Amino acid sequence: MSLLRIIGLKAYFPTQDGIVKAVNTVDLEIEKNERVGLIGETGCGKTVLGFAIMRLLQPSTNIEGRIMYNGKDLLKLSEEEMRKIRGKEIAMIFQNPPTFLNPVLKIGYQIAESTQLHQGLDKKAAKEKAVGMLEAVKIPLSSKRVSEYPHQFSGGMKERAMIAMGLACDPSLIIADEPTKGLDITIKMQIVKLMKEVTRQGSMLFITHDLGVAAEICDNIAVMYAGELVEYAKTEDIFKNPMHPYTRGFLNSLPSRGLKQIRGISPSLIDLPSGCRFHPRCDHIEEVCKNWHPEMVECDKGHYVRCLQYG
Amino acid sequence: MHRKVAFIIGKKRLKRNVAFTISIYILVAFSIIAIFSPVLTPYDPYTITGTPLEKPSMGHILGTNDLGQDIFSRLIYGTGITLFVGFVGGGLAILIGTFVGIVSGYYGGVIDEFITRGIDLLMVIPMFPLLLVLASFLEVSMTRISILMGILGWTMFARVIRSQVLSLSEYNFIYGAKAMGASDSYIMIKHILPNILPLIIVKFVFAVQTYMIMGVGLGFLGLGDPTTISWGQMINRAYTNGGFALGMWWWLLPPGLIIAFLSIALSLGGYSLEDKINPRLRREIEIS
Repeated sequence: MSLLRIIGLKAYFPTQDGIVKAVNTVDLEIEKNERVGLIGETGCGKTVLGFAIMRLLQPSTNIEGRIMYNGKDLLKLSEEEMRKIRGKEIAMIFQNPPTFLNPVLKIGYQIAESTQLHQGLDKKAAKEKAVGMLEAVKIPLSSKRVSEYPHQFSGGMKERAMIAMGLACDPSLIIADEPTKGLDITIKMQIVKLMKEVTRQGSMLFITHDLGVAAEICDNIAVMYAGELVEYAKTEDIFKNPMHPYTRGFLNSLPSRGLKQIRGISPSLIDLPSGCRFHPRCDHIEEVCKNWHPEMVECDKGHYVRCLQYG
Repeated sequence: MHRKVAFIIGKKRLKRNVAFTISIYILVAFSIIAIFSPVLTPYDPYTITGTPLEKPSMGHILGTNDLGQDIFSRLIYGTGITLFVGFVGGGLAILIGTFVGIVSGYYGGVIDEFITRGIDLLMVIPMFPLLLVLASFLEVSMTRISILMGILGWTMFARVIRSQVLSLSEYNFIYGAKAMGASDSYIMIKHILPNILPLIIVKFVFAVQTYMIMGVGLGFLGLGDPTTISWGQMINRAYTNGGFALGMWWWLLPPGLIIAFLSIALSLGGYSLEDKINPRLRREIEIS
């Protein structure tokens, strides 16, 4: 049995301009000790998917489908039961740590907070735990740093602290939402290395738009476009043999591959294109693409694509 | 080296906050007077220790009132009740206001709408006239009056705190705490409260000032508890029992001056604290 299994997940936000269909019928599985990368451009619904798993979306959001975690449907749990899972079994590492750290609380307190909440550690034990966690994320002078405030930490250190916060309770699933965003390249590589090290045990859903980082960390990669998955395969297959035109375009837009942009702009999630969501920007468009919405099909073993060329 | 720098900064800070330091000293002094008033007074303020309407002399520093009680002793005895009314009334108002404000701002939606409309309704009721009416109908004691003040006066603070919490609740670290499995009450106490604590403290200082003056005002109108000695009641007595007509300024002025003095001290404290939490309010030019 897989650790996390998302079946037909939809997340729609009602707004004044219309319904924002941020996640459209996503199916995704994460096995134990598997690291899945979720990549896609800004505004394609990656983060919403992560928040949906944690059930942190606004109450007004329409969520359909099932999120099976260890055989339980997270969407059917009460708030009380969900609270016991958050932080303890599924933890989230956020992007933009300066805003995710409370400015008036000490770093150490915030790192050990989840252990205090879930394991009932007392103050002293929690502080020791925080020092240990800071050491694990390689912050020097951890016993001193533990009683400092977020503004005394640099950007990279804040991200490390954020990772320490996520890992404090040894969660079995980590949802990392672009933890490398906004960091400069040397710090980024350090963080990536660290993420790889500290998440050796446990599964991870790694949300990013940085293909290089995803390749470094993940076993499998799911490509998301306009709220749905368009390709899912092993990391090396994605890079060696990208099948979906969007994935190919995405790869070709990497600086190392010529910085070729995909033409057009990403579609509004309020009125999605008919047929294949990618057809207005696709180079291999045929008449049928405009009306027919393709399904995910398995082309190779473990390589799924949502494109009419392949099925 | 490091210590030296810290010392200089500390000294500078103190200098910049002369106002705050002064106000703290004054408050502490008044608190000491209030606590030790039985020891500090030369006479028992309730007993008749001289002839009525004496002028200030070595025996009676501020003379005696129409009954022959020592005015100076009564002045010192009045400190405690004035501070008590301010702190209990202000404290209670802030406590209720903070609770309602946080709940309203954090939950938002229907709960917020309901509470906000309720506050709007309560705010229409003018507090001082209502206190007048209640004080004349109920059996008055200063404790009761200060509790009434707290119960009637929290709405303004609830509003201010609600608006702060409203924006605070949308901050990412609140989501972060939720993602850690924190409950709503935990987030409100551990994450939101420390963030608005500076604001609460400033509002508390001003609330104490307001309610202190209000307590004295009620006393002046003769609606305080006649059995306890308060500054307001002293002014009232001086006004009605001949002090004003006879030009006995040593009876009439000291309670008024002392309440003004205490009120200024609290204002100084409040404004310098406000400067601290919101440096944009600072108008003075800093010399570095």
